[in-house]
Amino acid sequence: MARPSTDRITRALRSPVTFSVLAGLVIGALFLVGTGADPFAAYGAVVTGSLGADGIGATLSTVTSVLGMALALAIPLRAGLINLGGDGQMVLGGIAAAVTGLYSPLPAPLTVVLALLAGITAGAGYAALAALCENRFGVPLLVSSLLLSYPATSLASYLVRYPLKEPGSSLPQTRRLPEGVALPAFGTSTVTFGLVLVVLAATAYWFADRRTAIGYEIRMTGLNPRFAAYAGVERKGLTLRLMATSGAIAGLVGAIGVLSFPYRFLDGSLTAPGYTWTGLTAALLAAAAPLGTVLASFFFAVLQVGGLSMERTTEVPRELTQVLQAIVIVFLAARPSFSRRRRKTVQEPIAQGEFA
Amino acid sequence: MTRRPSDGPAAGVDTSGDAPAVDSPPVEAPAVVELRGITKRFPGTLANDSVDLTVRRGEIHALMGENGAGKSTLMSVLYGMERPDAGSIRIEGREVSFGSPGTAMAAGLGMVHQSFKLFDSLTVAENVVYRAEPRRFGLLDRAAARRRVRELAEEHGLAVDPDARVGDLPVGLRQRVEILKLLHRGARTLILDEPTAVLTPAEADALFAVLRSLTAQGRTVILVTHKLREVLEGSDNVTVLRDGRVVARLRTADTTAAEIATAMTGRAVDLDRVHPEGSPGEVVLDVEGLSTAGVRELRLTVRAGEIVGIAGVAGNGQSELVEALAGLRPVTAGRVGLRGEDITHASATERRAKGLAYVPEDRHAVGTAPAATVADNLAMGHHRTTLASPRGLLPPSAVRAHARALVERFGIKASTPDVPASALSGGNLQKLLIGRELAHGAPLLLVEQPTRGVDIGAIQAIHDELVAYRDAGHAVLLVSAELSEIRGLADRVLVMYEGRVTASYAKSDADEATLGLAMAGGTAEPVAATATAAATAVATPAPTAAAPNTPAPDGD
Amino acid sequence: MFFDSDLLMSALRALTPILLAALGGAVCERAGVFNIGLEGMMLMGCFTAVATSWFTGSPWLGVLAAALAAAAYSLILAVGTVTLRGDAVVLGVAMNLLAVGLTSFLLRTIFGVQGTFDDPSLAGLPLVGGFSPLAYLAWAAVAVAALMLSRHVWGLRLRGVGEAPEAAATLGVSPARYKYAAVLVSGVLCGLAGAQLALGNVTLFSENMTAGRGWIAVVAVMLGRALPFGVLLAALLFGVAEAAGFRLQGLGLPQQATDAAPYVVTLGALFLSTAQRRRRTGRTTGVAS
Repeated sequence: MARPSTDRITRALRSPVTFSVLAGLVIGALFLVGTGADPFAAYGAVVTGSLGADGIGATLSTVTSVLGMALALAIPLRAGLINLGGDGQMVLGGIAAAVTGLYSPLPAPLTVVLALLAGITAGAGYAALAALCENRFGVPLLVSSLLLSYPATSLASYLVRYPLKEPGSSLPQTRRLPEGVALPAFGTSTVTFGLVLVVLAATAYWFADRRTAIGYEIRMTGLNPRFAAYAGVERKGLTLRLMATSGAIAGLVGAIGVLSFPYRFLDGSLTAPGYTWTGLTAALLAAAAPLGTVLASFFFAVLQVGGLSMERTTEVPRELTQVLQAIVIVFLAARPSFSRRRRKTVQEPIAQGEFA
Repeated sequence: MTRRPSDGPAAGVDTSGDAPAVDSPPVEAPAVVELRGITKRFPGTLANDSVDLTVRRGEIHALMGENGAGKSTLMSVLYGMERPDAGSIRIEGREVSFGSPGTAMAAGLGMVHQSFKLFDSLTVAENVVYRAEPRRFGLLDRAAARRRVRELAEEHGLAVDPDARVGDLPVGLRQRVEILKLLHRGARTLILDEPTAVLTPAEADALFAVLRSLTAQGRTVILVTHKLREVLEGSDNVTVLRDGRVVARLRTADTTAAEIATAMTGRAVDLDRVHPEGSPGEVVLDVEGLSTAGVRELRLTVRAGEIVGIAGVAGNGQSELVEALAGLRPVTAGRVGLRGEDITHASATERRAKGLAYVPEDRHAVGTAPAATVADNLAMGHHRTTLASPRGLLPPSAVRAHARALVERFGIKASTPDVPASALSGGNLQKLLIGRELAHGAPLLLVEQPTRGVDIGAIQAIHDELVAYRDAGHAVLLVSAELSEIRGLADRVLVMYEGRVTASYAKSDADEATLGLAMAGGTAEPVAATATAAATAVATPAPTAAAPNTPAPDGD
Repeated sequence: MFFDSDLLMSALRALTPILLAALGGAVCERAGVFNIGLEGMMLMGCFTAVATSWFTGSPWLGVLAAALAAAAYSLILAVGTVTLRGDAVVLGVAMNLLAVGLTSFLLRTIFGVQGTFDDPSLAGLPLVGGFSPLAYLAWAAVAVAALMLSRHVWGLRLRGVGEAPEAAATLGVSPARYKYAAVLVSGVLCGLAGAQLALGNVTLFSENMTAGRGWIAVVAVMLGRALPFGVLLAALLFGVAEAAGFRLQGLGLPQQATDAAPYVVTLGALFLSTAQRRRRTGRTTGVAS
C-alpha cells in the first residue's frame, strides 16, 4: 500500500497550492536574506512565536477573526462571487453589537446573544444591499460590495467619534460594555467562546458543501454558472442568499471582536489588522473548499502572529508576512489550472467537426 | 437548393444553366496548391495519414469527409495553424513552410472559418482592412478604406455597406465581409470551411454564384464541406477523406452522390436509417401562439409516444423556442401547456418538477460543468428529487451510486465517476448529458442537436436511445440542423422559418426536396394544413426518398 | 457661493491621479484585459516617487522612477493573465494586497518608520499655473489616448484584439503583444498617478495612501465605457465630489461624511448609468421581438 500514498504525496507536491506556498516561502526567504536576516532563524521565530506556549493564545484569537472572515468570503466564492466588502460588513456588525450591548435592558447573558444576533443581522443586511446592487442595478458585485464598504466604515467612525463617544476619553471609542456583557474566555487567555462559534460555522459550511443539495448547487454555479442556470438554479436568489450569509458571518466576526477584549468598539481596531484581506487570501488559496479554508486560515494566522516575534528576534518588519501572503496568491492566480475552474465560458466547444 | 434535380444514373446530363460544372477548367491548368504526404498526429489520433491533395487554378475543389475524417486538420496545416509531422506544401509551384496564418496569407491563401472571425463592434470597412490598413500619417485613412470596400464589392458582386457595424449584419452579409477581407489582401486561393452551414438555400446559391465569378477571374476555391448536394452542384473536383486518408479523387461531372457517400462512409450507402413510426397517444406539450425574442406566434403539439422534429436553417428561432419551453427565456405572449397544466410562466425548476427534461445544444458551455466530476455532472437535476432527502440532504454515496448506474446503463466510458467530465471524449460527454436527461423519465424531452460533432458509433447509440425513449410512451421534441437525423427519427416534421412554424409534414411526406424548399421559406403560408398541401404538390415530381441526393450521415 | 472657480480648481486637482489611472484601465479594457490592479500599481508609484525624490532630491526623477517601477509591477498582471492565462480578478486583488504589504515593508526597512513618512525637505512637484505638471500631462493623455484608440492603426488593432483575439490572430496580429503593451501603458500611467498623489496632491507617503482611488478608477472605466473622454467625465465627477466634500467639511460637516461622499456618488452614478443603458437595450430588444 506504499504506492498509493506516495502517489498522493507527489500529487500534493504538484498541486498549485503547494507550489504557491513554497514559492511564497522561498521569495520571503530572499527578502529576509536581502535585509540581512537569517531566513531559518526568522521562520523559526515565526513558528515558535505563534505555536509556542506564549503565542498559541494569540494565534487562536487571531484564528477566530481570520477564519471567520475567510468563511465569510469563501461561501460566495464557492459560487464564483467575490465579496470585497468584508470590512464594511464586519464593522457594521461590530457597531450594531456595541450599541446593543450598551443599551439592551436585558440581563447580561441574553444581551450577549442579542448583541451577536444584532451583529449578524447588520452584516447580513448590508451585504444583501451589495447583492441587490448587482441583481437590480447591474453593478458588478465586486465593485458594489467594495464601494459600499467605505461609507460603512465612515459611518462607524463617525458614530464613535460623536454620538457614541465615551465621555472624557481622547480615543474614538464607545464606552466599555457593562459588566458581564462579554463572550466567556477560556481561562485567562484572550481566546473566547467566539472561536467555538466560528468553528461551528466552519462545520456547518463543510456539511452544507458536501452533503446538501444547496451546497451542490453552489459548487456547480462556481464551476459553470450557465450549467447551473440551465438546470434551474436561480442566480439572483442564490447571489442574495450567499451574500447575506457572507455578511452575516462578517457581522458575527465584528460582534465577536466587540464582545471580546477590549469590550467596546474602538475605531479602526477591527479593520486595522487586515482580517478581511487575510481571510480573502485564505479563501482564495483554498479555492473556497471548507477544510482547505480552515487550514489556510490557520496558516495565515500563524504567519500574522509569528510575524511579531520574527520582528522581535530578527528586526525584520512584520509586514513581510503580509508580502508573503500576497505572493502566495499571486502565484496561485497566475496558474492556469486555477482560473480554468472559475472562468465563465469553460472552453470553446470543440471546433465543430473534427476530433470530438 | 434544387438547381440540379436529377443526380441519379443520368448524372452528367447537365440540366441547369447557372451551375456549369462540366465547363470546368482543363486539367492542364497549373496546380496552385500541392500537398504531398501530409501527416499529422494528435495524442491518440492519426488525423492526417500521408495525404496528397492537388488543387488547380480556377477550380472549385471540394474536400469532403465526415466528422473526424481530417478535413479541418488538413486545412489547418495548409493555413499555417498547425505544423505537419511530415510532408511538404507547394503553393503556386514554390515549396513553403508556414509558421502562422500571416505567412500563409502573404503567399496568397485566405480562409473563411466556419465560425466567422469578425469584430462585431467595428464597421465593415474596419474589419476588411484590419492589419492591412490604408494610412495617412500613421492614422487609419477611413475614406480610403471605405473606397476600397466599395470597389471590391462592386467588382465581385458582394454589395455591403462599408459603414455598417458588423454586429448588426445578418449571417449572409457577414460571410461577404469575410470574403472581402480575403480579397482585400489579394488572396488568390480561398478556403471556405463549411460555408453554407448557417445560410439559407437562397443565400447559399448567391454564395456559389460569387465563387463562380471568382474562379472565372482565375482565383481558386477550396470548399470544405460534408454536404453532398452543394459539392455536386458547385464543385469541379472532389477529394474525399476518411480516417485521415484520401479515399477518392473524383471529377464532379463524372460522379454521383452515391459514389461520394460510399467513399466517405466506407460502406454501402445506408443514408436513411429510418426508424419505424411511433404510436402517438395523448397531447403532452401544447404550445399556443408563443412569442418571444426570435419566435412569433408559434403553435405546436407533441404527443406521448411521438418524436416531433423541428427542421430549419440555423438561426430561425429554434434555439429561442427551446429555451422558452425550458423556462430559460421569458415568454412575451402565448401559452405553454405541459400535460394539461399551464407552465407559461413557470421557472425552469418548476417545469422540471412537472415533467420536462432538456438536452441543450452546447454540451460544454451549458449542458455540463466540464471541471466537475462525472458523478456531479450526472447528479444535476436529480439532486433535488430522487437523490435528495426531503430536508435537502444530498448524501455523496447516493450521488456516486446514481453515477455508476448511469455510466453502466448508457455505456459512458469513464474510469471512475470521480474523474472530471473534461476527461471524457465528445461522444461520451454527449452520452453523459443525454443519459442524465433520459434518466428523469420525464414525459417530455427537449433535445437540441443531439449528435453534433459526435462520431458515428455514438450517433447510432444516441438515436436508438431516443427511439426507445419514445417507444416507452414519452414525448420528444427534437431540434436538429441535420435533415437526415430529423427524417430518420421524427414521426412528424415541423419546419421553422423566421420564427414561425411554416410547414408540417407526416413522416412519409417529409422528403429532402420538400423540406429544403420549406426551410428556404418556399411555402410562405404559415398555416400548417395549406403548407402540407403545397409541399405535397411540390414533392410529387421530386425523386423518391430513397434517391441518393441526400446528405451523408454526419454529426454536424 | 458654493460652486465657484475655487471648487472647480480643487476638483481638477483632485481628479488627476484618478484620471491617469483610469486612462490606463481604459486602455487595458479596450485590449481585453480586466485590470483591477490599478490600486496596487498606483501605490507602488507613490512609494517609488517619494523614495526616489528623497534620495535624489529631484521630484522629476521621482516621477520617472514611479512610472518605471509601476510598469515593472504591472508585468505581473501581463505575465499572469496573458502568458499564463491566470485569473485577472484574483491576480488584481492579490497585486493590490502585495503592493500594500510591500510598500509598508519597504517603508520600515528603508525609512524606519511605520505609518507615514513625512519630511519638510522631501521635494514635491512644483505648480505651473496653479496645477501640477502631471495634471497637464493627464489632460494631454486623454486627447492622445482618444486619438490613438479611434484613429490610429494601433488603436484599431488594439480594439480588435480586445474584442475578438482569435480573429485578430488569424489576420496575423499578435493579441499577446497588444495586451502586454496595454498593461505596460496602464503601469506607466498608474505610476504617474501615484507620483501625482504622493508628490503633487500631498508631499508624503503613508501606508495604503491610495485608499481606494484605484478602485474608483476601475469604476470610472466602467462609467466612461472605456472611452478616454468618458473616463475624463467620470473622473471629473469624482473630483467634484471630493472637492465638494472638503468644502462641506469647512462648513461643519464631519469629516467621515465627506470621506464617504465620493464612494456614494460613484455608486449612484453607476446605478444611473446602468439603469439608462438597460432602458436603452430594453427598447432595442422590444423592436427586435
